[in-house]
Amino acid sequence: MELIRNLPDTELVANLRAGKSMDESIKALYRNHFESLCWYIMNNSGSRQDAEDVFQEVVLSFIDLVQKDKFRGESTVKTFLFSLNRHTWLNELKRRGRALVREEKYERGQERTELDAGHYIADREGKAEVTRLVGELGDTCRKILLLFYYENLSMREILETLHYENEQVVRNKKYKCLKQLEQMITEKPYLKQSLKNLLHG
Amino acid sequence: MDNSTPDITSLLIDHIDGVLPATEKQQLEKQMAADNIIKDEWENLLGTTEAIKLYGLQQKIGTIHREMMTELQTPVRTISPVRRIVRYSVAVAASVLLVVLGITGYNFYKLSPDKVFTENYSFYELSNTRGAGSSITVAEKAYREKNYKEVINIHDNGSEAGQLTQFLAGLSSLELDNNSKAITCFKEVIETNRQTNDKLLEDEAEYYLSLSYIRNRDYDYALELMKKIQDDPGHLYNEKITGQLMRQVKLLKWR
Repeated sequence: MELIRNLPDTELVANLRAGKSMDESIKALYRNHFESLCWYIMNNSGSRQDAEDVFQEVVLSFIDLVQKDKFRGESTVKTFLFSLNRHTWLNELKRRGRALVREEKYERGQERTELDAGHYIADREGKAEVTRLVGELGDTCRKILLLFYYENLSMREILETLHYENEQVVRNKKYKCLKQLEQMITEKPYLKQSLKNLLHG
Repeated sequence: MDNSTPDITSLLIDHIDGVLPATEKQQLEKQMAADNIIKDEWENLLGTTEAIKLYGLQQKIGTIHREMMTELQTPVRTISPVRRIVRYSVAVAASVLLVVLGITGYNFYKLSPDKVFTENYSFYELSNTRGAGSSITVAEKAYREKNYKEVINIHDNGSEAGQLTQFLAGLSSLELDNNSKAITCFKEVIETNRQTNDKLLEDEAEYYLSLSYIRNRDYDYALELMKKIQDDPGHLYNEKITGQLMRQVKLLKWR
């Protein structure tokens, strides 16, 4: 739908913060910003696929920050996304062991807002590892946890969706699944800080 | 290592889920403040639920991403050399057409009967028509002296009848901007010739009559006469009636 394409920043951010019209709000981010951010990466040693991967990460970080009230509208969405995009890409280049000296110099000259954006994407590898572990859960566990914690469904709604015997069975299953995931994460000591970062942004 | 008891973990999860009764919640928070192991467990569980939310969002973005890539990645159409040439040719043709239309529009805007008349009228030199040894008439003398009113008076009082006086009276009327009088005089020349089965000053009268019609805004009469001159290769003024002049008069009809 084109309707949401020209949403003012304030409305777009309000929607994302409230989890309202999420699909259309994310599409609006793509329609309004993907091409320019893609262009930046493709002009700085990246491929189209790199640009796509980074953009997904940028959108994820942005929504996460908005929902944790870390984006206060001190810069425009465009500026903020650009900054996230650049820092994410530089971080990725460094990870690949071929950081661009020229880009680093450029990075040092940027304004305060952009340095903040750099801070926000800190520990992107840790976060990626944590979410990867969620994906490694069994199908049933992953589904129950997502329905409850992401889709905000009640136990009764989950019961109707997954056809368990009763709510208590679902509750017990959810307990076990959450505990299992927690153990999968905490048994990797290097992810302890990543887990804290998820809480505090 | 998991140091918490199942009961505590269950309470912590209920707290995260927002279903723990207020009294138990207060009790649990006190325990958390006093026991770092419980506090760690709380943070780990809370962080884990955040990881689930982030994963959910990541999956949603991934789904939308695939949809948006289809929408945004409109294939770049490559233009073949032939199509490029055709495209440039059309562009050039369109530009030329625009220029032509612009010039035509400008000319149409600037076009007026007086302008067309002035561009095609030339002063009639009398000496060109006289044979050697001919005596000069009063009307002719007055015309040479540019005494146009006198020429018209001579014509009107009938003291010098004939095609030459009629023709000179027509020319004098044009010089004095009296179009209807000029038309009358030139038509008299043609009528006299018809009656006397003569052709004296016939071509001259027709040409100047057509110009008189133009300036008098009688475009249909002008066009009819000009067509007659144009169709007659032996006409003295045949070459004067150009296609451009015909177009200008036709355009004048639409102003």
